[in-house]
Amino acid sequence: MKNFKTSTNHAVNEPDSTTGKEEKSRRRFLKGLTTMFGGAAIGSMLTGNAISVAMAYVPSNNDILTDGKIFKKAQLMLLKQICAIVIPKTETLGAAEVDTHGFIDNQLFHCHTKPQQEKAHEVLNLINQAAEKYFSTLFIKLSDDQQFQLLTELDLGEKRFDQTQRKSFKALKQFICFGYYTSEVGATQELRYDPVPGGFKGSISYEASESSWATRGLFN
Amino acid sequence: MKEQVYINKTSEVYDAIVIGSGISGGWAAKEFCERGHKTLMIERGGVVEHRKDYIGENTPMWAQEHRGRVENILVDQQHNIQKQCYAFGNTTKHFFGNDRDLPYTTKAGTEFSWIRGNMLGGKSLLWHRQTYRLGEYDFNANKLDGHGNDWPIRTKDIEKWYSHVEIHAGISGSYENLPNLPDSEFLPPFEMTAPEKDIQAKFAKLYPDRPMIMGRTAHLTKPTALHVSQGRVQCQARNECHAGCSYGAYFSTQSSTLPAAAKTGNLHIAPNSVVHSLIYDQVTNRVKGVRIIDNDDLSEREYFAKVVFVCASTIGSTQILMNSVSKKFPNGLANSSGVLGHYLMDHNYNSRTSGDIEGYEDEYYSGRRPSGIIIPNFYYKADPKRGFLRGYALGGSAYREGWDAQQHQDGLGVEYKNKIKQAGKWRFGLSAQGEMLPRFENQMRLHPTLKDKWGIPQIEFDVRYSENEKAMMDDATEQSIKMLTDIGLKNVSGESTHRPPGIAIHEIGTARMGRDPKTSVLNAFNQSHDIPNLFVTDGASFCSSAVQNPSLTFMALTARAVDFAVKELAAKRI
Repeated sequence: MKNFKTSTNHAVNEPDSTTGKEEKSRRRFLKGLTTMFGGAAIGSMLTGNAISVAMAYVPSNNDILTDGKIFKKAQLMLLKQICAIVIPKTETLGAAEVDTHGFIDNQLFHCHTKPQQEKAHEVLNLINQAAEKYFSTLFIKLSDDQQFQLLTELDLGEKRFDQTQRKSFKALKQFICFGYYTSEVGATQELRYDPVPGGFKGSISYEASESSWATRGLFN
Repeated sequence: MKEQVYINKTSEVYDAIVIGSGISGGWAAKEFCERGHKTLMIERGGVVEHRKDYIGENTPMWAQEHRGRVENILVDQQHNIQKQCYAFGNTTKHFFGNDRDLPYTTKAGTEFSWIRGNMLGGKSLLWHRQTYRLGEYDFNANKLDGHGNDWPIRTKDIEKWYSHVEIHAGISGSYENLPNLPDSEFLPPFEMTAPEKDIQAKFAKLYPDRPMIMGRTAHLTKPTALHVSQGRVQCQARNECHAGCSYGAYFSTQSSTLPAAAKTGNLHIAPNSVVHSLIYDQVTNRVKGVRIIDNDDLSEREYFAKVVFVCASTIGSTQILMNSVSKKFPNGLANSSGVLGHYLMDHNYNSRTSGDIEGYEDEYYSGRRPSGIIIPNFYYKADPKRGFLRGYALGGSAYREGWDAQQHQDGLGVEYKNKIKQAGKWRFGLSAQGEMLPRFENQMRLHPTLKDKWGIPQIEFDVRYSENEKAMMDDATEQSIKMLTDIGLKNVSGESTHRPPGIAIHEIGTARMGRDPKTSVLNAFNQSHDIPNLFVTDGASFCSSAVQNPSLTFMALTARAVDFAVKELAAKRI
C-alpha cells in the first residue's frame, strides 16, 4: 500500500504538495468563491466533504522498484525504460520520472480487465523476447540506440515486427500517454491546465510550439 | 439549508405533496411554496447540499482516484448500466443510481438503458442543460400524421410559462426568430470559435433552410440581478458540471428552485423516502397521501396532502401509479384509459459524422464551453418523399485535437513528445438527435413476480426503435456527410449506430396528456382525468418527443400545472 496516501485531507489543504501553478489555480478558485459568496459559504467545501484523494495514485520514489500489483519488479524496470523512451525528459520531466510505469501497474489492476492485464504482460514479454532473439540479452541491457531502434520498428510494425504486434504496442503507448498527460507534471507543465477558465473565449491566438489544453478529451 | 426543513415522521396534512426533487419536482415545490402553500417534497434518495456535497468538484485528474476512471469491481457490481452514460466517472458516480439496488428487466429481444439519479436534486444535477422550447410545429405533429394523440395544448397555452421559468432559471442563447424553434428569454449565447463562425456562414449560403446557431443552455453567461440574489454567478466554463457547480452557474434544483422554495418557510423535505404507492380514497375520489418505504431501514410511513404532484421522472412516476391499485383502479391509479405505461419514447442519438477543418493554425480558444452548436430540425414540415416521418436536429462543435487524439500517431521520443504537446488539427462533427414516434407497443409494465429491495415490483421494458427511427438516422448520416463535404471539410466520415433506447436519457410518455379521458391519462393541465387532485408534470405527460431536449418543457408544464392547481384549490374544486 505504499503508493497510497493515508491522509484524508483534501489536496487543497496541502499547499506544500502543490506546484506553483496549481496553487495559483486553486487560489483563484477559492478567491472567486470567497468574493462571490463570503468565506463561510465555501468553508464546507474545504472540510471533510470534498472527494477523498486518499486513494489517488501518488507517484512513488522511482529509484528503487519493487514488485507491483500486476507487474514483477523486472517488468516494472522494463516498463520504466519504455516510458523513458516514449516520453523522455526534455525541459519537462518525462514519463519515467513521474512514475508512469507505477501508475500503469496500479491502473491496470484497478480499472482494467484480466485480458487487458494479460495483453500488457504479453507486450512486455514480446519486447524482452525480441531483445533476447536479436541481441541475446535483456531489453534494458541494450544500448540507447538499440532500444530506440527496436521500439521504433515495433511502433511501425516493420522489419522484426508485424502489424498485430504494432497494435499491442500502440495500446501500451496509450497507457503511457494517459498516465503522463493526466499526471500533475504532464498536465500543468508539459500541457496547459486551467481549472477555472473564468468563461469561454471562442478565439485566442496560438503559435506553433505552444502547449495545448490538458483537459481535451477529459472535460473538453 | 436549515435543519428543520428535513423531516421524517409527521402527521401534518400539507397543501401539496411533490414526489421527486429533480427538474419538475423542484419547480413544483418552488411554485407552491411561493404561493403560500405548505409543501412536502419527497425524495427517495439522500440529501445533496449545494456546494457542500459536490464532492468531486474541481479535483484535478491527478488528484482523483484512478485519474477519473472508476474501479472495475465497483462498476461491475454497482454501475453496470449507469456506466453507459457519458457523464459517469469518478467525480460523478455518487450521483448515479446503484444498479445493484435498482434492478429492472427488459422483454426478451429488447434493450433499454435506464439511467438514474436518485438523490436530492435528481437528474437536475446530471443533465446536459440544453434548453429549447417546443413550437407550433411540434404541438401539431401528432395530429398531422396521426401517430400518437393530439397534444391538448398549443404554443399560446404555454409560452408565458416558458418565459416564467426561463427568467428564473437563466437560459443562454441567441435570438433567431426561426419558424421551427421559438426563442426563449435569453442571456447572451456562448461564443463560437473562428472555424464555427465560418462554417455557420457557409451553411447559410449552401443550406439557407438549415441555419446553424449556438446551442441554448441553462448556464448563466451573464447573470441578472435575480440570479445574483439567488446566490448564483457567471459560468466559469469549467465544463465539469456533472460533479456539481458551487458557482450555481447552471440550473439545478439545488442552485435555483430549492433555495427559492426554502426561503418561503413553506417547504419541508422528506429524504430517503421511497414512494411505494398513493393512498386513494374511493368515496371522495381523491388521493389522500402517499405510502413510503424508508430507503435505509425499510420501515413504512405515510404523508398526507390536499393535492399530489407526481414528479418522480417519466418511469418513476408511472411506476408509482401502476403500483397504486384499488378496486376502482385494478390496473393502476388514474388508468381508466388503459394507456398508462404505453407510448414510451426517448430521443435517438444514433448518427454521428465528422471531418477535418484545414487551416486556422493560429486560432485557439480558452475555457471549456459547456455547450455546442445546433442545427435545429429542418424537416419540420412533412414531406412524403422523405421516406420517414418527423425529423432531427444536428448538434456539434469545432475543436482542436489534443493529446488524447494525437497520442495515436507513430513515433517515440523527443519529437513525438513535442508534437503531442501542441494543439492539433481542427475537427468538426455533427450528431443527430432524432424524434421517436409515439407507439402503443413501446411500453413499461410492472414485472409480475420480481420486486426490488423495497418490495416494489420491478419495471419490465418493452421498447424498440421502429423502422421510421432507423431510416431517419440513416438519412441524418447521409445528410451530415453531404453537408460537411459541401463546406470543404476533409476526411469526412459518418456512421449510423444502433444503441438501444434509453441512453439519450430523454425518456418521455407513459402517462400522456390529451383531451379524451378514454385515450389519455392527463388533461391539458397535467391533471388526472380520473382523479382531480392528482397531477403528473414530468416527462411522463408528453404526447410526442419532438426533437428538442425536453427539460425546459418539464419546467414550464409544471409551473403552469401548479398555477392551475392553486386556483382549483382556492375554488375548492379539488
